[in-house]
Amino acid sequence: MNLYSLYMKFFVMNAHAAEMSLWDRMKPPLDISTNGHLIDSLFHLTTMLILFFFILVCLGLFGFSYLYRQSKHPVALYVHGTSKKHIAIVAAIGAMVFIMVDMKITGISNRDYMESFAKWPKEDKDVVRVQVLGQQWAWNFRYAGKDGIFNTEDDIVTLNDLRLPTGKKIVFQVTSKDVIHSFSLPNARIKVDAMPGRISKMWTELTTTGLYDIVCAQICGTFHYRMQAKLRVYTPEEFDKWQDQMGERTKYIMEKDSADLYWGWKWVTNN
Amino acid sequence: MAFFEQEIHDAPKTFLSKYVFSFDHKVIGKQFLWYGIAFLGLGGMMAMMIRWTLAFPGEAFPIFGHFLFPATNGVVPPDTYAMLFTLHGTIMIFYAITPILIGAFGNFCIPLMIGARDMVFPTLNMLSFWLAVLSAVILVASLFTPLGGAAGGWVSYPTLSTLIGSPGVGQTLWCLAIFVLGVSSTMGAVNYIATIITLRAPGMGYFDMPLTVWGLWLTAVLNALFLPVLGAGVLLLVFDRVFGTTFFLAGAAATSGSGDPVLFQHVFWIFGHPEVYILILPAWGIVSDLLAFFARKPAFGAKATALSMTTITVLSTVVYGHHMYTTQMSPLLTQSFMMLTMTISIPSAIFFANWLGTLWKGSIRFQTPMLFALGVVFVFGLGGLTGLYLATVSTDLYLHDTYFVVGHFHYTMAASVLLGGFAATYFWFPKMFGRMLNETLGKVHFWISMLGLNGVFMGMMIVGYAGMHRRIYNPYVYEFLQKLIPINMFITYSAIFMGFGQLFFVYNFVYSIWKGPKASQNPWEVGTLEWTIPSPAPHYNFDVIPVVKCGPHEMGNPNLKGRDFQYQTEELA
Repeated sequence: MNLYSLYMKFFVMNAHAAEMSLWDRMKPPLDISTNGHLIDSLFHLTTMLILFFFILVCLGLFGFSYLYRQSKHPVALYVHGTSKKHIAIVAAIGAMVFIMVDMKITGISNRDYMESFAKWPKEDKDVVRVQVLGQQWAWNFRYAGKDGIFNTEDDIVTLNDLRLPTGKKIVFQVTSKDVIHSFSLPNARIKVDAMPGRISKMWTELTTTGLYDIVCAQICGTFHYRMQAKLRVYTPEEFDKWQDQMGERTKYIMEKDSADLYWGWKWVTNN
Repeated sequence: MAFFEQEIHDAPKTFLSKYVFSFDHKVIGKQFLWYGIAFLGLGGMMAMMIRWTLAFPGEAFPIFGHFLFPATNGVVPPDTYAMLFTLHGTIMIFYAITPILIGAFGNFCIPLMIGARDMVFPTLNMLSFWLAVLSAVILVASLFTPLGGAAGGWVSYPTLSTLIGSPGVGQTLWCLAIFVLGVSSTMGAVNYIATIITLRAPGMGYFDMPLTVWGLWLTAVLNALFLPVLGAGVLLLVFDRVFGTTFFLAGAAATSGSGDPVLFQHVFWIFGHPEVYILILPAWGIVSDLLAFFARKPAFGAKATALSMTTITVLSTVVYGHHMYTTQMSPLLTQSFMMLTMTISIPSAIFFANWLGTLWKGSIRFQTPMLFALGVVFVFGLGGLTGLYLATVSTDLYLHDTYFVVGHFHYTMAASVLLGGFAATYFWFPKMFGRMLNETLGKVHFWISMLGLNGVFMGMMIVGYAGMHRRIYNPYVYEFLQKLIPINMFITYSAIFMGFGQLFFVYNFVYSIWKGPKASQNPWEVGTLEWTIPSPAPHYNFDVIPVVKCGPHEMGNPNLKGRDFQYQTEELA
């Protein structure tokens, strides 16, 4: 019996809890996007580099503490660390960190950011466009509907219910009604702040169908933790079917009474 | 090098002039120490309530719960939870760490270590403490307003912190408390800078100052430059709240012209990032000194360490944008801020190498202050390195606003600074109170704190990477976070363990002030100026202003006879 299952048994007091391994518990949520692996792999690379340097620090810290404790090494060496050799060693360590870690990570991150996360897809027919409005404490979503123009009668409007297809690029324009929120898709590894008075944008492309969580990541008041929406990822055919159904629904006068439907803006196409 | 004669006045006789409205830097330092420890306890209790809520949602907080939250049968309600994490952050940063490291040890150590009789502006010094008290009164009073204290996070981003998100007067009082505290800290900072420049003992060049003084000096420079920025920011926020201006309002709420909520984030973080270094620089200085003192050899590359700290001080002012990647600044800016942030790792690596160089071939004594100093090296190593993930734009897209960030900044700002503060307390306690702290209790305190805080903050990074975001009352409304319940419980158990461990310190501290064994003049056998005078330090410190003839860490010199250290007042052997 290992420490982990002992802990689960006596402190968590749930025998079944040990069935899920600690490793699985520590894993980030399933990556369902085409770009998410860039972030995961950079995270792992950074972890390796950090571990290398942290192990060096620990070797020095614990090794020297053990080797040069007073009982074993009663007379300290009288050096100031100002000789050319010592300065060169220290400078080399500084340079090594910069070249091995900083340059490497910065380079990869810049590449990923410029070529993927901040490279806005051309908005042709195949791109799904969604307007997102955060409010205390819910997410409103708006699709352009059949005519492809936002702020018209046939827009599809949902509350806390985002449905998207796989295999198509999706562009969001995000803003907020009241306070700052942050529109976060943990499964796609991205987020962007929803700020009153500004329209921010984000894009992704999904790969896996299923039901996922959408999170507000920025503190937005008492029920911040309840500002949860669901993301349903469909295949493109299912998505088209859903859009048709919703398009039919927009024709009913009855549902036009809801004031919640009347928001939205002209799509900003300067990208 | 004093520019003027430091006069000696008679010692104050009455209780009020001696212990309350004292001009004496040593008394003011102790006042700040008590103030900081009291708030450390309060902030710690708030942390416990936060942790309890995250590990056992919906269960009554033990012992105090029914008394504090009768309406919900002892369960912390969600609005109170928001208030708790806001005030936990505010209190720990501005009312616990700042007073302990900068207020207490800055005041106590600077004149003693540079051979001065007092601060250069004693009245300003006293005013600085009493403004801090006024600020604390305002902050605590805000808790008893009808809608409760501030609940917008310690960063208090508008528009949540404007009337749109926080209509209560508590938020206004929070802003005022921070403003007053900013004035108080700026007063202290100006005083420290002036004292270090003008009152160094004759013969003491800048590189003959102990690194503790270097750290405190650089901190004071950052404080003097950037606290006024924060003050201006919160004052504008008060204008928005009270006088109906729209500096930080936009969208539907901006009825008379539009401001920009992101403007506040710029103002806040241009202060907020240096603030991280404001807190950690004194700890770095203290650790650099203590490692040398207890390894019984000169600080390795002391000049390089001092210059690295200076470099970081400069760099810290130009990296603040990495807190705001998700506000979608232009890619040109994100790249620049990422690159600038990364360069901080060069000076950091240099003084880490110097710290290890100090230990190399030393003759290390593992007394309590040394244990805490070594602890800082360990936890700051972890904290500093994990910052790389957050400085990187693309990984920050995922990690921003998750518990990973919380774990990271607790490693740097809470763990390192707290351990550094304890190291300083154990080290200078004899000079402050003339008595020794108990070594065994101190070591028990160290190991409990060390294990506890690693359990807490490592756990936070793990749940953060697994996707748990910050400042949520009940993470388990999200399906993908439900698997984290056992880890969150582990964090909470670690926090409780660490919390109880602090009782060893409180007992040791209070008992030793009155009953501890009497301290000799120089119990740690080191040569800086404060150890050339009796313990506790007498009225006006130095009868005769000392003349400095060598550096602060001259130890292990083979020419020395009978002892392995020499005082800074002695000619280099």
